Formats: sequence, structure tokens, C-alpha cells
Amino acid sequence: MRDRYPISSRRPSRPALLHPASCILHPLALALALLLLCQRAPAAPAPDWESALVYLEVTRRAYEVFQPWTPKSRTVQKNGLVIGAREILTTAEELSDRTLVRVQRGGRGKWWDAEVVWLDYHANLAVLTAKEDAFWPGLKPAPFITGKLPKEGLQIVRWRSGNLEARKAEFNQFLVEDARLSFFQHLQLEASTEMQAVGWAEPLVANGKVAGLATGQGGNNARFLPASFIEPILAARKAGKYPGLGFFPFTWTPVENPSTFKFLKLPGDPRGALVIDVPATPKVEPNLKPRDLILQVDGFDVDNQGYYKDPDYGQLIVENLGSRRKFAGEVVKMKIWRDGAQMNLDYRLPKLDYSVKLLAEQTFDQAPEFLIAGGLVLQPLNIPLLRGFGEDWKRRAPFRLAHYAGGPPSAERSGLVVLTSVLPDPYVVGYQDARFLVVDTVNGQKISRLADVQAALQQPQEGFHTIEFHRGDNLRRIVLDAGLMDAATKRILERYRIPMASHIEAKP
Amino acid sequence: MSIKSICSLLAVLALSSLPTLAADPEKAVVQIFTFAQEADWDEPWKFGQLRRSSGTGFIIKGRRIMTNAHVVSWARQLMVKRYQDPRPYLARVVFVAHDCDLALLEVEDSLFYDGCEPLEFGPLPKVRSTVVTYGYPAGGEQISYTRGVVSRIELQTYAHIGNRSLLGVQTDAAINPGNSGGPVIQDDKVIGVAFQGMPGLENAGFFIPAPVINHFLDDIKDGKYDGFPSAGVRTAPLQNTAYRRKLKLPDNDKGVRVDSTIPGTPAEKVLRPDDVVLQVGNYPVGSDGSIVYEGNRMALAMAVQEAQHGQSMALKIWRDGKEQSIALPVEVSGTDKVLGNQYDTPPRYFVYAGLVFTPISLDYLKTFGRGWSDTAGAELTYELFYRRQESPKTVRIEPIVLSTVLADGVNANFRTRGRALVDKINGIRIERLEDVIRAFESPSNGQHVVEFLPKNTFECLERESADKANAQILKTYGIPKDRRL
Repeated sequence: MRDRYPISSRRPSRPALLHPASCILHPLALALALLLLCQRAPAAPAPDWESALVYLEVTRRAYEVFQPWTPKSRTVQKNGLVIGAREILTTAEELSDRTLVRVQRGGRGKWWDAEVVWLDYHANLAVLTAKEDAFWPGLKPAPFITGKLPKEGLQIVRWRSGNLEARKAEFNQFLVEDARLSFFQHLQLEASTEMQAVGWAEPLVANGKVAGLATGQGGNNARFLPASFIEPILAARKAGKYPGLGFFPFTWTPVENPSTFKFLKLPGDPRGALVIDVPATPKVEPNLKPRDLILQVDGFDVDNQGYYKDPDYGQLIVENLGSRRKFAGEVVKMKIWRDGAQMNLDYRLPKLDYSVKLLAEQTFDQAPEFLIAGGLVLQPLNIPLLRGFGEDWKRRAPFRLAHYAGGPPSAERSGLVVLTSVLPDPYVVGYQDARFLVVDTVNGQKISRLADVQAALQQPQEGFHTIEFHRGDNLRRIVLDAGLMDAATKRILERYRIPMASHIEAKP
Repeated sequence: MSIKSICSLLAVLALSSLPTLAADPEKAVVQIFTFAQEADWDEPWKFGQLRRSSGTGFIIKGRRIMTNAHVVSWARQLMVKRYQDPRPYLARVVFVAHDCDLALLEVEDSLFYDGCEPLEFGPLPKVRSTVVTYGYPAGGEQISYTRGVVSRIELQTYAHIGNRSLLGVQTDAAINPGNSGGPVIQDDKVIGVAFQGMPGLENAGFFIPAPVINHFLDDIKDGKYDGFPSAGVRTAPLQNTAYRRKLKLPDNDKGVRVDSTIPGTPAEKVLRPDDVVLQVGNYPVGSDGSIVYEGNRMALAMAVQEAQHGQSMALKIWRDGKEQSIALPVEVSGTDKVLGNQYDTPPRYFVYAGLVFTPISLDYLKTFGRGWSDTAGAELTYELFYRRQESPKTVRIEPIVLSTVLADGVNANFRTRGRALVDKINGIRIERLEDVIRAFESPSNGQHVVEFLPKNTFECLERESADKANAQILKTYGIPKDRRL
């Protein structure tokens, strides 16, 4: 990944606040609105899209972050595209923890039960099917653009109140930025549109073919997964050869300082992306080293800003070459400058995995883990938990917890468990104010995950449980009566009406 | 960090005074006019604009004026006016104690003290007793008196330093901006010095009580101010019966548990986790970590604060199932200084080839704006506040930051433009500012290499060009000296 700059805003989860000036209904604004109406796509949209575009309704479980035993229900509607025999493509967003998926054709009428047959959260893509034969007659697969994406004649289409809505989209740029649901960076298309609330897998189309799927919107700028990103994944999946996406886990930085190139003994013009950090996980052999200069990747020269010239999309950062028609396990051929000499490196792309970070970025398709032990509420420390402090969790979460987010896992600790609260009870008198403390050991055993806690609680020491927290300016240690813990937990569950004492997915 | 948001009461006031009444103890109460210039922590060779403000003080024995430290901080010039006297007198700071927000001033002109009886100090007042404040609060040229009762007595965060809690007295007597440094009187004796209020609390002002004042006056008897010592331990309430049983302690309300010792303090050698502090000096310690001080229950830190820097305190502790007596040396923490607000001493810095190096401190971090601990300052925040707790073996004595890069041809291609924690220069690990100078002076094969944390970024500099450019850069940016050490 690139030594990061702030990433531009993502799709707002609710309508953005209007700038005060835009609240004033100005005659010019009215005229502009009329003009925009006139700019709509032809009154009778291409019939191909009516037979390819379906509407989806997804109901899923959501959870109170700090009371994870309390599930809620959430329903969203989004778009899907028929892409083959009994197959519908959509984005993976909001498909996690699903309890009911339904599809509708023609933008109105009967809902049909559907199920997800394939899904990749990192790629933000999913394929669904509807079992009932009666759903499919009349639906036709949408063709994808297979070569260079056009910049002209773009439209966004979607079902809206039973009618097909099509609006013009103006191409802005191709860019390589963070995926919607993952930490890796890949090619995205940005286009401006007057269509609002875009980001629910609306297809971007041109010349009767699919150019992309919408993933988000900020202001009038919408982001799309480009067809050139989607199509190779779908083709590999169809062939049964999709191993998942790979990525570049190392961090690099642009170099403009000629003295740095001199220090690195690189002759000639300044060029190459400077590697500054190579994490221990995921394991890659052979691997890059800090202070390597990446001069070329898969035949593309890399300039000193870390960009290469993509034959289809112009200047893009080198990150894109980790997902440009390449998947996990495949080799990316690099020419690098190391220790004053050029060498070739066959870099095997590691597979994207949320667990490569100390704090998992996502925890899809599993109820949040928790353990209530005698009133102590213990949870894994991960990014979804930190998001419980709000969208601006980096500011609002306790500093020390948020600061773990940038760290890598270590050999001795693959994850963190945090005491999020204490449910008051006579058993835990004296500890009732403890919260947001990262657990170091339980009964002397190092803790990386909740299953470790559960196992350690089976081994009390001289009738006591001793829980130690990470060093810091906080409480370091508490002791509980091991013999009374089970009874206390039972009492606390009843008093606080909590249905179960734990939900733990992983084994120690 | 949960620091109370407390406002100091120094206010910018009009510079005129026409007192008309005379009565004791008003004669000893003075108005102080401060012309101050604060340091710039981001561009450390600079100072901010001249700021005018006023506060209150009072004459004590020894021909000295007591006031708040925050009234006289960063002062370039101090003037005082006595009650009913139109003439301003020049004053100077003799002692300043930023941790307890007290200062002593001196006026050279002996006329100033003529006909004035110094005020004497009284004891800690009782809760619910009546007190009167004297001062020159906002907008007023006449001395102002307000009467109130003592509402409560406990340890309070002292806003001026920001990271210390000392004994403070809350009163419902109006204490407003400009009252700062004024005496709080009971039975013709000074029983406190007005110093702060708290936003959100109505009818609540705070004054520094006699025990803190006396500690300050005792401290300076040797000619220098050391400050209030700390015990060097973190304690945790010992109210859980299981924990008490594990430590073989009776299930009562006595004793607080040592949760951890602070690295680098004497306590590290004397106390250990799970020791139980039963008594500090003559004060029995409760299971919530409190003592009873002059009839008021408060944190046991109060007992420690009675000692002077370098003294030892007699402790009764419970260790390994039995009671023991130990002596705990208590010291003023040098670390506390950079973790709190700093005054009067401008920041250390070194400028080379346009690269400005300075130590990290709370004051430096605050230059980032309100969200200083967020993304931009997160690494520096961790370095300053957390590393010494979590990895004491990796801590640097004085972490150094490249605060800014003064643009010049010699550094124009630097990608790192400032706010970066310095790890090494020319292979030398930077522990303190002097190491930066030593590293740039060391042989470097024609190039200087500056390495940063946490992501291992680095920048290179041509030594010959840098040496040549140095003087011109200082001149261009109006930097009088390349260093302040």
C-alpha cells in the first residue's frame, strides 16, 4: 500500500447536509433542474436493461456493538444484474449476516426468494440465484465491456418506483483507492451524476454493455467497480479457478529527493517506488525489503511517484498491478533495486485476509463474539467494535484502543481481547468502573482471542482467576473467586436478561 | 486522559485603578498588570504577540507579593499597584511554582511597602465556614469583595499545569477572571489564594488552601523551587472480597492495593504490585485509596504531597500476608513537566539546513489544533504519553520531532515536511536534542541520512550543500540562533 494520504470520502450512509446556500430556490437553480431533466436518458430506455436488471431486497442481522447479544434486523434494497444462466451479480455489501434475500423483476410485483451462491467481500462482488423456474423467463444476461472502458456515453440505470431510471454520468477519472469493504487498493472509476443515493450496485452502462457497478457516492461523484476489474474475477470463478484476490501488503513511498536516489546508489533518472515497510505477515517468499526500489512490475516501468502508465487507464499507482488481472498465489514479476544493484523478484501475491491485521477489519457472517464471565464483558478488539464509537471512531474511541488499529499482529499475539464493561454485581464489587482494558493474560496465559480466555478460565490458580491487562496508565490486575464465577454469571445473565453467556467462533 | 476542563481566571483588563477606600486587609491587596509573550512551540525561535492581562496579589512578610503563577507566566514586564495608590511599581518574579499555580514577586522600590502590614496565613478552613475573597475581577478598577461558604475540600486538577491534582477548596463566593492570585480571608488571615473556576459549575470558584501555600513556602527556603512529589505508584481500590482473600487480608475497609509502580521512580525499588498500603505517615488508608485529612476524606496522594522532594515517607504495607514498615522516597517527576503545560522556559530546538528539531511535549502537540491526538499526532501522542508506560526499555529520554522544514533548495525535495518523530540521524539513535547536533557533526560519507518512525521513512541531505545553505536559511527565516539548548 502507498504511504497514505487521506482517502476521499465514501458514500454517505444518509443524505448529506445541504450547504445553506443550496437551500435557497434560485431561478437559476430551477432552470438548471429543468435542464438536468432534459438531460435524462431517452424516455424509453434500452429494453436490454429491463430484462437484465433486477431489484434485490436483503434482510440481515445487525448487532449492538457493546451489547452483542442483542441482534437487530436491517433491510436494504439494491440492484442486481443477470449475468448468465440463473445468475445475478450484485455487490457484496449488506449481504453479510443475511437472513432473507429476495429478488424482483421489472422493478415491481412479486418478490422471489433468492440465495447467494458465491461471494467475495474483498472484491465486493456476489452472485445470487433464484430457485424458482418461474422467475427466469424473459431475463437476459447483461454483456460486459471486455476491453478498454469508454469515457463517453456513460449512463447509470436502476429500477425506481417500478420504472427504469437512466441518467447520464460524466466520466471523471480512473483511480486506485481502498476497496469498499477491504483494506486493499484497486482500480475504481469515478463519474459525476445528478442521480442521488447511488452506490447500491447500480450498473454503469455504455453502448448497451456494462461498464461498472456502483459502490458509493460522495456529493455528485459516484464510484464504480469497473468492468475490467469485475470481468476477470467472474471469468475465473466460472472456470472454477478463482483463488481470491491478492494484494501488496508492503508500504512504499514516492521519492522526489535526488539525494535519496544517490544514497541508494541508483544511477540515471529518478525512478521507482521506495519500499519502507514490509510486514511479517502475510508471509511472502521471496519478499521485498525496506529500502528496495520497485523499478518495474510485470513489464511496466514505475516512476519515482510510484505510478506506472496503464495502457488502458493512464497513470495509476503501482498498487493496481497487484489486482490487474492477477489473483492470489500468482506471480508478479518485479525488477527491483536492492543494495546498489538491480535484481528480479518473482513476487507471489498473498491472499487478502482480514486477519492479516492485528485488529480484523471486518467480521462478516458471524455474530459478534463475546464472553460474559462473572459480569466481565469481554470482546475481541477489532475495527467493527471501534466503529461502535461512531463514524469518527479514530477521534472518539479511547486513544489506546484506536492506536492498536495501525499495528501488525506479532508472533506471540495474533489478536486482542478487550474488557468492554463490567455488569455490576456483588461478585465484581470494586471493578465496576473498569472498561476498555486490553487483556494481557488470564491465569498466566497470554490472550489473543476469546477462546483463549475461555480456556484459561478452566485453569484457576489456587481458587482464583487473575486477569491482567496490558501495561499502561490503567488498571493492571483484577482477581475473582473462581469457585463462585459460574453462579455469578448465571445470576447476572438473569438479572440483565442476557440470553447466553458467550458466543465464541474460533478455537484457541 | 481525563483532565477536567477548567478555565483559569486571568483576564485582560483595563489598565487603570482609582481606589478610594482604605481598610485592612485591603491595603495589602495589589493589582498586577502583566505584559507577557508566550513561546511558539511549532517555530520555537519565535514568540507570540505581546499580551496584556491583569490579576491580583497580596503582600506577605518578607516584602514579597504572592499571586498565581498563571498571572505572571511568560511575563516580559510586571507592574503592580497598591490599594488607593495611583503609582505603578515595577515588579519581578522571585519564585514561580507552576505545578501549584503560585508565585512570589518582589518590588525593588522600597516605597512600595511603606505603611503596609503584610497578610498572615491561617489554617485550612472548615467546610461550611464563611470566607471573603479580595480582588480585582473583570472590568473593575475598584477592589471587589465577595462572601461565600466553603463548599468542599478535596484534590482538584490544577488547570494551569493541567496534569497535577493538589488540594483545592471549592467555595460559592464569586471568583471571576481578574480575581486570580487574590487572597481568600477568614478571621483576618489568608486561608487561600483564588485561582480557578470550572465551566458548567455555577456558584463555584476554587482557591489554593494553606497546606499547598505552606508547602510552596517551605520548598523555596533553600533558594529554589522543586515542586510537589509523587509516590510513583498507581493504586487500585481493594474492595473485592476475593482479591482481599487472595492477599490474606481481613475483609474490611482498610488498605489500598498497589496496582503498578511507575517506571523510573524510587517506588519501583521499594514497592511491588499487590503490596497493600495500610498507612501513609500518620494517615490510615481506606480500601478505596482515601485518607481522612483535616476531617475531609480525599485521595491518599494528599499525604504524599505533604512531603518535600527527596524526603522519605513512612509506610505501613501488607506484603506476603503480614504487615511491614517501609520508607518510600518521594520525588518530583521530571517527566510530568513535558506531559503538562510548560511556562517561562521557551522550547529547546536546533535548526540545520532548514530542518527544525525540537522535543515533543504537550505544548508542541497542542499546536496541531483541537484534535491533536487524532491521526496527525497519534504516533507522537503515543510516544509522549504511552511508550514510557508500555515499553519502558524502548523509551527515549527526550523524544525529538522534526517539527517543520523551512523550504530551501537544499531540502525542497523532502517528502517529510514536519511533525515526524526522529529515530536516527547518520545511524545515531536520537535520545535527546544534543544527539541531533552530535549526529550532524559526525562523519557521514558526504550525505546526512535522517530516519523517522514509525514507518521507517528517511530523507537524505547532501552534507556540503547543507552546510553551505545553513547560514542563509537562518537569515532568510529570521532565526537569530540555530539552537536553544
